[in-house]
Amino acid sequence: MLGNPAPRFAPKESANVPHDRSHDPNATHGRAPSDEELDAYIRTRLALIGIDLSVLPEEDSDAPADRVSVHRSIRNFLRNTVPALSAYELDPQAWPPVLYPAALPPVGEERLRER
Amino acid sequence: MSDEPQDRRVDRRAFLARMGALGAAAALGTPFAASGSDGLGSAGLRMSGLEGAEEFWQEVKRTLPTTVDSPAELTASEAAALVREGTLDPMELVEACLDRIGRWDERYLAFNTVLAEEARSSARALNVEGDDGGLLRGVPLAVKDNFYTEGVLTTANSHIFRDFRPEWDAEAVRRLRSAGGIVIGKTQMGPLATTRALTPDGQVTTVNAWTPGNPSVSPGGSSSGSATAVAARMASSSIGTQTGGSITVPALAQGLTGLKPTMGRVSLRGVIPLTYSRDHPGPIARDASDAALLLQVMAGPDPADPRTLGLPPVPDYLRAATPQGRPEGAKIRWPTRLGVLPGWDAGDDPAASGRRAFLREMEAAGVRMVEVTPSQRWNELSSSLMNAVRLPERTEPFLEYLREDVRLFGVSLNSWMQGLFLSADEYLKGQRARHALLASTLDEIFGQCDAVVQSGHVPFDMIGLPLLALPTGHRQTEDGPRPHGILLGAPPFGEERLLSIAAAWQARTEHHRVRAPVLDALREARALPPAGASRGRLSAEDVAERSQ
Repeated sequence: MLGNPAPRFAPKESANVPHDRSHDPNATHGRAPSDEELDAYIRTRLALIGIDLSVLPEEDSDAPADRVSVHRSIRNFLRNTVPALSAYELDPQAWPPVLYPAALPPVGEERLRER
Repeated sequence: MSDEPQDRRVDRRAFLARMGALGAAAALGTPFAASGSDGLGSAGLRMSGLEGAEEFWQEVKRTLPTTVDSPAELTASEAAALVREGTLDPMELVEACLDRIGRWDERYLAFNTVLAEEARSSARALNVEGDDGGLLRGVPLAVKDNFYTEGVLTTANSHIFRDFRPEWDAEAVRRLRSAGGIVIGKTQMGPLATTRALTPDGQVTTVNAWTPGNPSVSPGGSSSGSATAVAARMASSSIGTQTGGSITVPALAQGLTGLKPTMGRVSLRGVIPLTYSRDHPGPIARDASDAALLLQVMAGPDPADPRTLGLPPVPDYLRAATPQGRPEGAKIRWPTRLGVLPGWDAGDDPAASGRRAFLREMEAAGVRMVEVTPSQRWNELSSSLMNAVRLPERTEPFLEYLREDVRLFGVSLNSWMQGLFLSADEYLKGQRARHALLASTLDEIFGQCDAVVQSGHVPFDMIGLPLLALPTGHRQTEDGPRPHGILLGAPPFGEERLLSIAAAWQARTEHHRVRAPVLDALREARALPPAGASRGRLSAEDVAERSQ
């Protein structure tokens, strides 16, 4: 595992969350999603935000882009980048993201005069 | 004026805290805003107020070449020095560049738009108005086609912007023009600043000026056209943008000096965005003097770009780029510790020989070498995995175009689509990792040295720190000589430091003066394929893989 060995906030599984999901026919049980499942996810996400790939040819290596290659590219991204990034651990106390509305401390003359 | 460079006088912790906020603060702006603003002041555009200017010009004139075939062979600094003293007419210089563009650009394809009449008109106006002290007076410049230029097509080599004529200049372009620079054309680029210059549908366009007969040799991307225009002496200097190596990679590929400044040092207003928190405008130039000259003009606060506000004042880059101890043997201007990565200078190829020569010469120039070993954690934080976090930032401002018609993205589509599939928690993880990487860089690396050699551009692109590329030699290939070079990184606002190192190196060596082959000679030798021959194409998957 990459990252900092700092303690986590809480155990991974809470007592209130059922551990056994064998009754759920849709559960993946840690199995890697298939191409079909990822393609369904891709189509759903694009439909939700109004992006239409149907204007592209189905498969055409001479075209700038086609549906098959777009799906393949996104599936690779979902399989490789997303889980690895999700699994990377950073100490939540040490590295806040400092996103807006964080303060913008001056690093210019005002700060220089303090030194 | 302090006798220390600015990187010694800036609170690095404050920069660290500030960086975290930049992405969101910048996003408050409108990426394709339709109105301009006044900009701020003219500091840096003119001679007044620059203590190092006189010394800089004296050094430029002292090293002027005794003869040149054409004024287009002069560097920007040389040309500006001669225009200032009245021995070179800006019109003569403009005509010399236009002549080369007319004769050669059919082969190089460095330009999207050549502004011949506009450039002549600007040169004429300079002669009428007289010398107002503008630092770039009469210097022909090539501008990457993602900078807004008033009334001139600004396409970013994309279908999306194929008819886009902005109503105002990008702030960087405005400053260049205000300093007397003449925009001679808009240059080819990777579609939407992704990879080497291509048509929107993936056909290779710009070639490397060193290998015009072999289009498979990359000119470097995405500021390909800017680099080729300068390497082929069709413009005195140029500007590009870097999100993932797009200034330093073309500079290395074509024997030039490229400088990606600290995030916020140059305004991004009027630059078609690729990644809000990683886009950096900067010079792609013939040498350190030219890079300093352009940065001196481009740098400064812009009320319309929050990334530029609240920063230290713009220092005297001309002074930084003036080597000490000439003509006997150039010395580094300030005491400098250069961090060297383990194994960086190992190898038996010409590039490794160039790296070793660089270290030897820099030691002789007074630089102290310090071995720096980044931790495993630093390597993880700067990996390609963390680099992927940039993708949602490229997607979000283009959503309306994705909804309109995904074909507008041509061969660039895949990485814009990938950006839709990183969730907010993963994006946030990436922002935290950037914070950690910046802190690690400041502690592990710049706790020990003032500048550091780099083997790749990604880490410094991720965290907004300055990066400079310079040539260290040439190797023979079946296509003829090709340049190689090195990358140097510095802490926040370390541009002076980088320029001082580059200036000392270039004062002690001649690699930056070696010229790409003259095209007419290659044509006579029949070393070129027909001008209209296909140059190959990249697929959407190629582009996603090589995307900046």
